[in-house]
Amino acid sequence: MAAAESPSAALRRRDLCSRGIRLAGKMRADVVDLLDTYVEQQGLDASASVAAVEGVPLAAVEHWDEQTGTQRLLENLAAYRAFRALLAQMLEEQREQLGEADAGLGRALAAVLLQVSAFAYHLEELLRLESRGIPGEEGDEEEEDGPPPPPRLSLFEQKLRGLGVLRELAQWAVRSVRDLRQLAKPSPATGAAPGLAESP
Amino acid sequence: MFSTWNWVACGFYLVLSICSPDASSGLVQSCGHIIPESPVLALGSNFTALCILNESCLDFGNIYASQIIWKIKNRVVPKEQYREINRTVSSVTFNDTSSLATPLTCNILADGQIEQNIYGITVTVGLAPEKPKNLSCIVHQESRFTYAMTCTWNPGRHTFLDTQFRLRYRWPEQIFPDCIPKDVNNSCTIDDCQFFVNTEIWVEASNALGKAVSDPLVIDPIDIVKPLPPQNVSVASGVLPTVLQLVWENWISDAVMTLKFNIRYRIVGDTNWTEVPPEDTASPRTSFSIQGLRPYTEYVFSIRCMKEDGVGYWSDWSEEKTGITSEEQPSKGPPIWRIIDTSQSPACWTVHLIWKALKPYEANGVILQYELTVRDKSSLSSPVKKYNVTSTNHTLQLREGTYEVTLIARNSVGPSPPSVLLIPASNSKAPVKNLRTLPKHDKLWVGWTAPNNYVLKYVIEWCLMSSNSDCIIEWQIVLGDVQGIDLKGIKPFKCYLITVYPLYADGQGSGQSVKAYLKQDRPSKGPTVQTKKVGKAEAVLTWNHLTVEEQNGFIRNYTILYKTIDGNETVVTVDPSKTEYTLSSLTSDTLYTVRMMASTDNGSRTGPDFTFTTQKFGKGEIEAIVVPVCLAFLLIVLLGVLFCFNKRDLIKKHIWPIVPDPSKSNIAQWSPQVPAKHNISSKDQMYPEGSFTDVSVVEIEADDKKSFSEQDLKPFDLLKKEKSTSEGHSSGIGGSSCMSSPRQSVSDSDEGETTQNTSSTVQYSTVVLNGYRDQTPVQVFSRSESTQPLLDSEERSEDHAGGADSTPQRQQYFRQNGGQDETNTDRPCFERTKQMTDANEGDLVGFVQLQISGQSSQPLGLGMEKNTQERAVSNVLQTFTEGQTVRPETVEENPLSVDEMPKSYLPQTVRQGGYMPQ
Repeated sequence: MAAAESPSAALRRRDLCSRGIRLAGKMRADVVDLLDTYVEQQGLDASASVAAVEGVPLAAVEHWDEQTGTQRLLENLAAYRAFRALLAQMLEEQREQLGEADAGLGRALAAVLLQVSAFAYHLEELLRLESRGIPGEEGDEEEEDGPPPPPRLSLFEQKLRGLGVLRELAQWAVRSVRDLRQLAKPSPATGAAPGLAESP
Repeated sequence: MFSTWNWVACGFYLVLSICSPDASSGLVQSCGHIIPESPVLALGSNFTALCILNESCLDFGNIYASQIIWKIKNRVVPKEQYREINRTVSSVTFNDTSSLATPLTCNILADGQIEQNIYGITVTVGLAPEKPKNLSCIVHQESRFTYAMTCTWNPGRHTFLDTQFRLRYRWPEQIFPDCIPKDVNNSCTIDDCQFFVNTEIWVEASNALGKAVSDPLVIDPIDIVKPLPPQNVSVASGVLPTVLQLVWENWISDAVMTLKFNIRYRIVGDTNWTEVPPEDTASPRTSFSIQGLRPYTEYVFSIRCMKEDGVGYWSDWSEEKTGITSEEQPSKGPPIWRIIDTSQSPACWTVHLIWKALKPYEANGVILQYELTVRDKSSLSSPVKKYNVTSTNHTLQLREGTYEVTLIARNSVGPSPPSVLLIPASNSKAPVKNLRTLPKHDKLWVGWTAPNNYVLKYVIEWCLMSSNSDCIIEWQIVLGDVQGIDLKGIKPFKCYLITVYPLYADGQGSGQSVKAYLKQDRPSKGPTVQTKKVGKAEAVLTWNHLTVEEQNGFIRNYTILYKTIDGNETVVTVDPSKTEYTLSSLTSDTLYTVRMMASTDNGSRTGPDFTFTTQKFGKGEIEAIVVPVCLAFLLIVLLGVLFCFNKRDLIKKHIWPIVPDPSKSNIAQWSPQVPAKHNISSKDQMYPEGSFTDVSVVEIEADDKKSFSEQDLKPFDLLKKEKSTSEGHSSGIGGSSCMSSPRQSVSDSDEGETTQNTSSTVQYSTVVLNGYRDQTPVQVFSRSESTQPLLDSEERSEDHAGGADSTPQRQQYFRQNGGQDETNTDRPCFERTKQMTDANEGDLVGFVQLQISGQSSQPLGLGMEKNTQERAVSNVLQTFTEGQTVRPETVEENPLSVDEMPKSYLPQTVRQGGYMPQ
């Protein structure tokens, strides 16, 4: 799939991987910090168990090491698109609840949202380098179909869902780092081009 | 009539239209307007405006476009720039908008004279914005989690218009809100900066004349981060005394960026930093151990960080933290030296041992004590003496000899290596050679040539010389291979005495000294000169040497400058070792001003002026003048006395003339044939060169001759001859004479007889022993038996009648006769006569005064008349004053006078003021 990858493309790919890895790492660190702030601000128990968030692929998968690069990128892209929507919703809910009273939490959420968006952009760029078409966002498709509006949740449920989103995002950040590292190194599974194989 | 009303209506309308700016929306409409309305124009461009008159106004006022006048701020635009497009439109064109001003008005001349404003516009002139350039951004870490990106750019030229700048940035799929700068136009700060995504950043500038966009800057903000410096830096002692561990916190997570570091350190009090090699701290960490430090030394540390890959900016240096290394044994022994005082006794030394405290990097800790060991090498049996000292000196009383002194410094960890000083009995070894100094900026270099033998060390002593305090010795030890050192702490303009001793393995060389200045200046004062002795043509100047504090350098010479008040200044250079100088060739009795100048290599200073006056006379000159004057005076006095003595009778005659007693006058005895007259003449002829004027010839009887010794009578041989020739002519006047009765006149000892014979007369005589021109002196004995008392006696006789012949009178008379010596009063007449003759030999020629008694009033000098006598006296006086030579004229004239005047001869010798002899 990347047999014809030019040196510039390989360089671009490696740069995107590197930058994505560091972005994911920072994102994780920020999400972890945000989790603490969030739990404290929302009055939640840090040890509370939260059910899986609907619409977000689970980070933990079986046979992870058997996945192809494209597969990894697609799963990541789907996950971060979902996170982007969820975080945007959380941010709006946060503003509705607290107004400008807690600008710090909102600013931190916005920062994480930006990072999620940026990471999604990285993934899209990598998919383009993989000569793969970028799947359309589910939300857009659903809009065309006229999807039912999400069920109205209670305030507490919103808080728990937010906690679940952040926890899953933290998990996905870890996985994304691993995925991108896997993509960055030459792998027969990915059928990497010679240029990519030559890259360190 | 209609026309008049028409014009009035038109004017009223115009007034209304002018007074109502909002006429278009009001009741009254404006008579025209300008196109474009309030334009913004580019500076330097051309511009055309149109003034359009309303049709409605044309009918009322008969106003047309040809009547329009354009004005810029009350200044009429030249009509060349107008153009009448039609009857209602006039245009004005400006080729350069820089000549425009606000407002631009359209006016009309109503009725040919009245200028009315139709419309006006505001014109704004400016420039379009330039493209912003040099856009650059930096991300400052503001806290642990917040980063702010500040971008700056060059806004370009001033536009004269309200220009907006905005910083824009975006991700490929997301545009962020613009950053609009506040109060400035060249920078803006974005607070929510996101990393790891390439961000496109650009600047847009816009105003009424256009918009300009900078070149975009595409960058990942993580690559332009200036992180906060490491926080909570602390220093901990390491396991070794040369190691300290630095610990800190990074305020940027590894997830954001990994860091590398720079660590620097310095000794407290030092200004130079030492930096840990960057490669040692190029990886992420939160601690680092600095090695190779000095024991027991306090260090200051500081640290900074940046992104590990070196892309971005270094943080500021962290706050400084100090730490101190632990102690270690002193690395070397203290330098030790001695000062030996032998002032009490050469055999008994007072040895002052002095040593320098170890420098901190040598002491490696706190020196608790010094251990001093003194071993007498000249006497092996003497015990080793040990002293524990806490100061840096120790004084010992030792006998003259050779000693070995060992010194150890000890701190809490252990002792230092020993320092050994050998004190020999004498410094008999070779000294250094060619000792010299050279100033080097603020240091004084001392150099020397090593002796031929191997030298272990050199000791350099130096001290600041002072005139009022002892020389406080400083010293330094250097190794034997050194032949010059820089002395530090040397003050300029101060004299230092520098001594260098070579230390050998088996002894010590004698010291060589040199005086030196780091920097010389001119003396701080000049010498004070004064005179020690002033003569007529010379003066001895003296002064004191300047003190060493006043010299400020080596005195190369003294210069003496002296001058008279109106004379040129004379300069004399004097060797600096002298303190005295003699100025010669001075002018006598002159006021001199002298001052003295001391000179160093760097200048001179003159002392105060001193004035002195040379003397009028030189040494001995006064004596040379005074003594001869005195001698001459004395001589004159003496001669005067002698003259007076010799001329006493004459003087006496002048002062106390002889007054004859007329009652005793016996004119009958006068005889014209007085043979004595002729005898006298013959006698005068016999003695033509004699100078006596009144002579009485004394006849000495032959019988009496034998009463005198042969020798005594010898001078009378001539008289004998004279007697034989003049015997027959003897007048017999004065029947007695000194010779006829010598006992009576000469021997006063036979007083009774004398008194008896001269009871009625006063006998006196003058004996003149005279020699002339190698002739045998003629002794003339004159005797007078005049009863005429001496003036004194005469005067007394008036008071005491009948007492004239008393003995006191006679004695007094003799006293007058005796002349010089009263003790001669009792001497025989001959002796006294001879004395006088001896005294006046050759000088006094026959100067005889004869007193003639009253009975023999016939004077021997009968032939001498008054004039002759006076002339003779004057001749004698003249002879006396002219070198005591007797002129012959006096004597030669005498016979003539006598021969010529016998007939007119008066029986009495009448002298001026005189009296006749009795």
